[in-house]
Amino acid sequence: MKHQGKCVVEETQPIVIDVGDGAAIPKPSDKGLVSAWWLSFIGALVTLGCLLYFKPDPYLRIFKFIPDGILVTFQVTVSAIALALVIGLITGLGRISRNKYINLVASTYVEVVRGVPLLVQLFYIYYALGRVVHVPDLLAAVISMSVCYGAYMGEVFRAGITAIAVGQTEAARSLGFTRSQTMYYVILPQAWRTILPPVGNEFIALLKDTSLVSILGVADLLRRGREFASESFLYFETFTMVAVVYLIITLILSKLVSFMEERLSHHVKR
Amino acid sequence: MVKKLVLTLALVAMTASPTLAKTIVFATDATWPPMEFVNADKKITGLAVDLMEAAGKEAGFTPEFKAVAWDGIFAGLAAGKYDAICSSVTITDERKNTMDFSTPYMKVRQALVIPKKSAAKCIEDLKGKTLGAQISTTGHFAVKKTEGVKDKSYDEVGLAFEDLYNGRIDGVVCDDPVAKLYALKKDNYKDALKIACIIPADDELYGVAVQKGNKETLELINKGLAAVTAKGLDKEILKKWLGTAE
Repeated sequence: MKHQGKCVVEETQPIVIDVGDGAAIPKPSDKGLVSAWWLSFIGALVTLGCLLYFKPDPYLRIFKFIPDGILVTFQVTVSAIALALVIGLITGLGRISRNKYINLVASTYVEVVRGVPLLVQLFYIYYALGRVVHVPDLLAAVISMSVCYGAYMGEVFRAGITAIAVGQTEAARSLGFTRSQTMYYVILPQAWRTILPPVGNEFIALLKDTSLVSILGVADLLRRGREFASESFLYFETFTMVAVVYLIITLILSKLVSFMEERLSHHVKR
Repeated sequence: MVKKLVLTLALVAMTASPTLAKTIVFATDATWPPMEFVNADKKITGLAVDLMEAAGKEAGFTPEFKAVAWDGIFAGLAAGKYDAICSSVTITDERKNTMDFSTPYMKVRQALVIPKKSAAKCIEDLKGKTLGAQISTTGHFAVKKTEGVKDKSYDEVGLAFEDLYNGRIDGVVCDDPVAKLYALKKDNYKDALKIACIIPADDELYGVAVQKGNKETLELINKGLAAVTAKGLDKEILKKWLGTAE
């Protein structure tokens, strides 16, 4: 991939990529305007507060009905993220492995998982594997989510690792590092920077996709909402509530991710 | 000339209208065998479907069945997406507040299905266990009403039975015709599951639900059902699907 932009080449000077002369994309000024994140977050909280305060019936009833659902959504998200990171790292390393077999296995896994819709995977792992091994529902949900997202994260890891300049590896190897030491001490710490933003997006996508596990009867936030709605016939109110709660959780997670990014980029500023 | 033609056509149409059958669109969650389900030919069929078709013949309407997920089926009726719901809807007071019901066409009870190796006699022996049911069905309400039992709701009753078979839950509560079919007739299940008991409660009645105040449709359906009962056609249909004409 060649760098886009204007290259100023002078004989005595190294190549300089002048970004300032690139396409003139006006930068949004963040002065005086509240950021979109704060707007959404405050908006969601105010909406929630107003609904609960001014119309406690039915909103407070709904709100009292869903906490265990929120907890389950949270449990599934956190454990699936942890597991998907591990699977993703193994897959990513497998995809760049020089060992033919490991490479083939990892690549096949990614191809297969990317080619099957998550909902179908959930059904498959839950009911097809349920016939063979008796896994409890929550665990089955977590395994399905992490198997799916592990493949996506594997791709992100691979891209992040291959983005590190080859000179880094050469330098480390000539200093006498072994291959795995190079990976562990030199490449991965740098790759994290490239990897984190897309992985953060995967986290958020995963959180939203946990709503799919409600189809398995796992009592997550969406399932609790559906139970309440179909019994009380208050579809509008219930799903307003469910949407606002999802939004708040997602916004908190995205803030955490951007906070981590800031910390990392701060760390490398010279 | 054209005007005359239109007029004659209009007249013909008007005189023919009693014989032109009105179409009533019934929403049904076709995952509730033997009452209503999708057969091998991908057609919605079952006891209730036969009953409505017989009623249609008697009262002069054409029933058209539309597959709708149970979760949200009542919301669709309120929004006018279809004329009626014929989906093993139990007549309850809560539901009467938001919709009107036809005369009852079937009497059912709640049955508890458990694994063959379970020693439980009935629902009170399953304290601390998890019981599955289809979301917001009367079976689900029965589980929720039982002290000390955890409930788990499913989109379809078949998924609850699959989970029971796979040992993720300890029992399923649903209408007895459905329970009989799954626990006594279905391959795999009939060797592993049994009906523990009929949960003591009032008998439940199935009715066809229509939008509140939709008298026209309701009268047609009631007329048809009355004629079917008078002719004894319902007995035949029951025998065909359940093997008994109770």
